Amino acid sequence: MPYEFDEILETIKMTEIEHFDIRTVTMGISLRDCADRNISITTQKIYEKILRYAGNHVKNAQEIERRYGISIANKRVSVTPISIIGDAFGQDEFLKIAETLDKVATEIGIDYIAGYSALVQKGFTKGELELIKSIPNALSQTQKVCSSVNVASTKAGINMDAVNLMSNIIKETAEKTKERDSVGCAKLVVFCNAVEDNPFVAGAFHGISEPEVTLNVGISGPGVVLDAIKNAGGIDFQKLSELIKKTMFKITRAGELIGRKVAEKNNVPFGIVDISLAPTPAEGDSIADILIAMGVEDVGAPGTTAALAMLNDAVKKAGLMASSSVGGMSGAFIPVSEDAGMIRAVEKGHLSLEKLEAMTAVCSVGLDMVAVPGNTSAETLAGIMADEFAIGMINDKTTAVRIIPAVGKSVGDYVDYGGLLGRAPIMPVRELSSKAFVLRGGKIPAPIRSLTN
Amino acid sequence: MKLTEDKIRELSIQAISELGPTASPDAVKKLVEEKIRSSAAFPGGEVNVSSGRVILTSFGLNTTGIVSSISAALSEAQCDILDISQKIMQEFFTMIMMIDITNSPKDIKDLQEIMKSIAENLKVKIYLQHEDVFRFMHRI
Repeated sequence: MPYEFDEILETIKMTEIEHFDIRTVTMGISLRDCADRNISITTQKIYEKILRYAGNHVKNAQEIERRYGISIANKRVSVTPISIIGDAFGQDEFLKIAETLDKVATEIGIDYIAGYSALVQKGFTKGELELIKSIPNALSQTQKVCSSVNVASTKAGINMDAVNLMSNIIKETAEKTKERDSVGCAKLVVFCNAVEDNPFVAGAFHGISEPEVTLNVGISGPGVVLDAIKNAGGIDFQKLSELIKKTMFKITRAGELIGRKVAEKNNVPFGIVDISLAPTPAEGDSIADILIAMGVEDVGAPGTTAALAMLNDAVKKAGLMASSSVGGMSGAFIPVSEDAGMIRAVEKGHLSLEKLEAMTAVCSVGLDMVAVPGNTSAETLAGIMADEFAIGMINDKTTAVRIIPAVGKSVGDYVDYGGLLGRAPIMPVRELSSKAFVLRGGKIPAPIRSLTN
Repeated sequence: MKLTEDKIRELSIQAISELGPTASPDAVKKLVEEKIRSSAAFPGGEVNVSSGRVILTSFGLNTTGIVSSISAALSEAQCDILDISQKIMQEFFTMIMMIDITNSPKDIKDLQEIMKSIAENLKVKIYLQHEDVFRFMHRI
């Protein structure tokens, strides 16, 4: 036998017991050739193009799932930032594009379509402003469309006008979807240093330097790492790092195989593997539980940030060796609502928004799926975002904010979406005001770090 | 098995003679494609398998007839058993088989369905996975 008994059983154990799966195969499609001054021609072109490339995406991915016995949780499509292809349009036209995206996503059976986006870190074009204003309606009137806006970067600084605008857009989106726990906000990400080949929603889009079409894959697998650490006992840090690397290497290899095969089957070029550890609400498939297994009493205890930094670094090192096409976010995710251990830590009062912010400085991707009281002011949201983007800008890394000011809810309540989005306890927010600071307007200049030439 | 040009030519000639006077380029192309798909020499039709080797893993409480039921089903499906390894730990039965499905008229999906019903009867678990996943994960 070319494989050892134990090797085969290890793989079976990963896929059957430890929740190892591929989080997403995301087909990125350029829509730049779909621009037309007539909105009905534009939407028709978008519809036809997505159908042409991704028509069999779900069927093909399912076939690969069966052949290798590894499940793929989500099949998705990302597109060129819509503000680029519709720059001459107004809000009503952008809304029609959102409806078209939703319609075609439903028809081809994918889970999400992302790219209702704008990149405004250095300022707005007319079209970008119109698209952003249309986001609350677009997200409340569609099911599968996801939106993201990049408002800051290491090279451009933080566009505080955009941050203030987005905090109002988030509030408005929450209000428009209040009868469904403000679910619109779970499909809206605000970014610093957004990446162009990210396969993970809600922040995915097909960047302008990407090819015509490509297929990116995002892996998952906290459960596998968790079991490996638990079984290893009290080994020292070097050995622990080695163990995480060995485990992640295998997971990434499987991810690359699945990605390449799905790409081959769809007859599109393979893009990247995003070597992220993405949790799911399933018990045991949690980043928080890994940190606890590493030795902290609960997430939020002193030492949590160091544990996460080490985990994240080992994940990257293993991934780099395992795949020659690493990209996307590539780091551990700590979304609150999608991780049973994080939810527990918030419920017990162990994890505060401030500690969560510190943790985002050493991993991807930011304050993700965090629910806060519905009466949180737009200025406070802007302050939270500014802090998060300062971390991203100074450290030359991607940070994001996906925050849900759940209308009518306060600390002690929950938002509950089911599925991969999970459920989140409302976290307390400091009641000190940031108003006079954030409303100064203008831009926070790019840091010294941007001058690398 | 690779589909050679000679094989395609042979199938095309067959198709033309079968179609007779109704043979048009499109009709011939369609018939040849159908033949390739259903041909035992090219299992899985359009599925592009890098090798036809599949790992079958079975485990559960030990009962009589597990190996025989599985191998009988495989032989009926014209699958070739390349290697077999089996262990009994306490009451627990584990078996791993490497099988070649290149010459089988069934593809991995069909075999998974067949094994599913056997697994239900014997109250064991049976998994079929393409060899590549093990090669990628455990071999550099």
